[in-house]
Amino acid sequence: MTIVRWFGRYYSIFLLLAIYELIVRFGLVSPRLLPSLTVIGEQLWRYLANGELIVQAQVTLYRAFAGFSLALILGMLIGTLMARSRLAERLIEPIFYFGYPIPKIALYPVFIFVFGLGTGSTIALIVLECVYPITIHVHAGMRSADRVLIWAARNMGASPVQIFWRVLVPAALPIFFTGLRIALPVALIITLVTEMIGESRGLGYFVTYASASYQNARAMAAFFVIAAIGFALDRAVLYARRRVVFWQPTDTSIK
Amino acid sequence: MMAKLRGGAWLGLLPPLIVLIVWETMAEAGRLPDYLPAPSIIARQTLTMLASGELMRHIGVSLFQALSGFAIGAFFGTVLGLLSGALRPVDRFYEPLISLTYPVPKIALLPLIFAWFGLGDLSKIVTITISVFYPIYISALAGAKSVSRVHVWAARNMGASATQIIWRVLLPTALPQIFTGLRIGLALSFVVMFVAEMVESSVGLGYLILFAEQNLRFDMMYVAIVSIGIIGFSADFLLRQIGKRLLVGQLTATEIRR
Amino acid sequence: MPAPIIIVRGLCKRFSRGGKNVDAIRDFNLEISEGEFIAIVGPSGCGKSTFLHMVGGFEPITEGELLVEGHPVAGPGPDRGMVFQEFALFPWRTVAENVAWGLEIQARSRSDRVAIVERLLAKVGLTHFRDHYPAELSGGMKQRVAIARTLAFEPRILLMDEPFGALDAQNRELMQEELQTIWNETRKTVIFITHDIEEAIYLADRVIVFSARPGRTKADIPIDLPRPRDLEVKKSTAYFDYRNQIWDLLRDEVLRARAEFA
Repeated sequence: MTIVRWFGRYYSIFLLLAIYELIVRFGLVSPRLLPSLTVIGEQLWRYLANGELIVQAQVTLYRAFAGFSLALILGMLIGTLMARSRLAERLIEPIFYFGYPIPKIALYPVFIFVFGLGTGSTIALIVLECVYPITIHVHAGMRSADRVLIWAARNMGASPVQIFWRVLVPAALPIFFTGLRIALPVALIITLVTEMIGESRGLGYFVTYASASYQNARAMAAFFVIAAIGFALDRAVLYARRRVVFWQPTDTSIK
Repeated sequence: MMAKLRGGAWLGLLPPLIVLIVWETMAEAGRLPDYLPAPSIIARQTLTMLASGELMRHIGVSLFQALSGFAIGAFFGTVLGLLSGALRPVDRFYEPLISLTYPVPKIALLPLIFAWFGLGDLSKIVTITISVFYPIYISALAGAKSVSRVHVWAARNMGASATQIIWRVLLPTALPQIFTGLRIGLALSFVVMFVAEMVESSVGLGYLILFAEQNLRFDMMYVAIVSIGIIGFSADFLLRQIGKRLLVGQLTATEIRR
Repeated sequence: MPAPIIIVRGLCKRFSRGGKNVDAIRDFNLEISEGEFIAIVGPSGCGKSTFLHMVGGFEPITEGELLVEGHPVAGPGPDRGMVFQEFALFPWRTVAENVAWGLEIQARSRSDRVAIVERLLAKVGLTHFRDHYPAELSGGMKQRVAIARTLAFEPRILLMDEPFGALDAQNRELMQEELQTIWNETRKTVIFITHDIEEAIYLADRVIVFSARPGRTKADIPIDLPRPRDLEVKKSTAYFDYRNQIWDLLRDEVLRARAEFA
């Protein structure tokens, strides 16, 4: 896209940034409260160069991914089970149906006691939170397979295993990816939240510590890194979807 | 409805029931660590705290903050979302802002918001408002965009004015998706409220959990956990009931059965 | 002799899709007098619906003239009532409420609305479904609701885009008879698009055969069968003659259209 068209599309961002900078430069708000973009940029550069932001980011990402991967495996297993067995569905579904609106983060303190403060309890909470959307979407995805497709497969002599892999799984993929797109930010959010509550490592901790030390520019610099990570992860999921679910156009708009 | 209660629903109650029974027996036999008190103890503590009014005080504060933030965020999210869905220039203005900041956990803003707005209620409500705004804006936007051309044509064919089209076509079409967004936003408001209180507060359910944890009052901790679970579930239930009334005719067959 | 109520001169409709221009309609001419029932038949995708959309004021014209009652079409309005191919029923309103929609916009009184809705539901045979939602109806029933809704606000001109397309053969015959009866009572101007030649002959004063894309008039055939038309007319020789004549004309166009898309 040409520079002009690119600018035209994202003009609101530049406009807001410009207004922000003007507000700061004209001293309408204390620079302590709202640091200028150059100060933020300087802090960002400094803490990237000395590697600290990178290290903290790695801690956060490791936790988020570990928890997310576990939730993924668990979710796929449970979701598939629920889709294939009516008994399992009747037993398990209420847990998801009733448990969904309950803020599972309330159980975090319990996890701290079970797993101790640190990565273990964070991962446990991520698993608990992320398993919900993944399971629900895997379940819904498998059930979404058009009955007619299954009949056609059986008409052509496919065995149950073949039907599973050749009909149910592909049918489930679009909805599954929607679940992924929901669950991945959740994993990141949970990680950051636990790091903000009495932790000593990770980006969430970095932001809290900087803020508590009145280093707002530093905190905002870290926030920018978090934003970049979150954005990059979302694009990664969209890219994966475009490759895997190639027969459907991928809607890159937000949800 | 009755048919569902007869055979299927009882099975669903089985796992939690079994868990509760096992939990109670093991706790009574002293086979469980300290941080897992018996359900009966939790129940007793709940009654105590209810009687003394303490529990209601915490619940009241938490609920007020969560619902205030939800209401404000929902209002702006719905109005702006509908505007963006209906008018392309508005959409083009907000689209990059929203899509770039959407994957970002708004929770990470919490320390900054505390720095800007102070450590009081306002900060929490602001954080909740911002968090809740996103899913509701996105849903309202999607709902408004889903208006079919033919419906607008039919309305204009029958002589409807622009205002009438907004109220009689745009809004009803977008309503189901707005409701989905509202449900997500409501659940989110409780989560954010909870976290914000755990980070910094002197009252409320999040604070209560932290207080209980620090003083090793595990029974109190579970009272808070159960309370917020019930609140979250009830709020969602209420919203769903309202939705059922408002969205008659637009629900799929499965949703009507639920 | 009064001026025709609808005048089409040199009408052209061009669509741009990804840099390429497609003429859906080119050099289309037609004159319709008030109270005439015009049927348009033609191959799929030849621009019939597009023409109707332009008369309805939903699509702008590219070139040429399109005059309704002496004025160029400025936009949609209740004077030209449209029965859409896709029904366009509002899913959040019951059948009765859908039929009443146009009347509400016109701020008719409640008693008026109720009376008109009841009358029309009886005409289309859906009285028992008045409190059902569109999602609960079959395609044919939805189409009847759409017809009832359009008739309710009594437009001067009726634009019908394959209104009986989703009906099964039996209901289609009944609705043709019913439309005949209604038209005999009200003598509205009707532009009726259909794939069914026999339906066109049965209902219309003139049958326009639309050519393959770009659409224009291939033939304009007056139907000289006595009115009011009853079922007997379908057994007459004249009827068969018209049918064969029109199909011969149409067949060429259908084959041409197929060749274009092949």
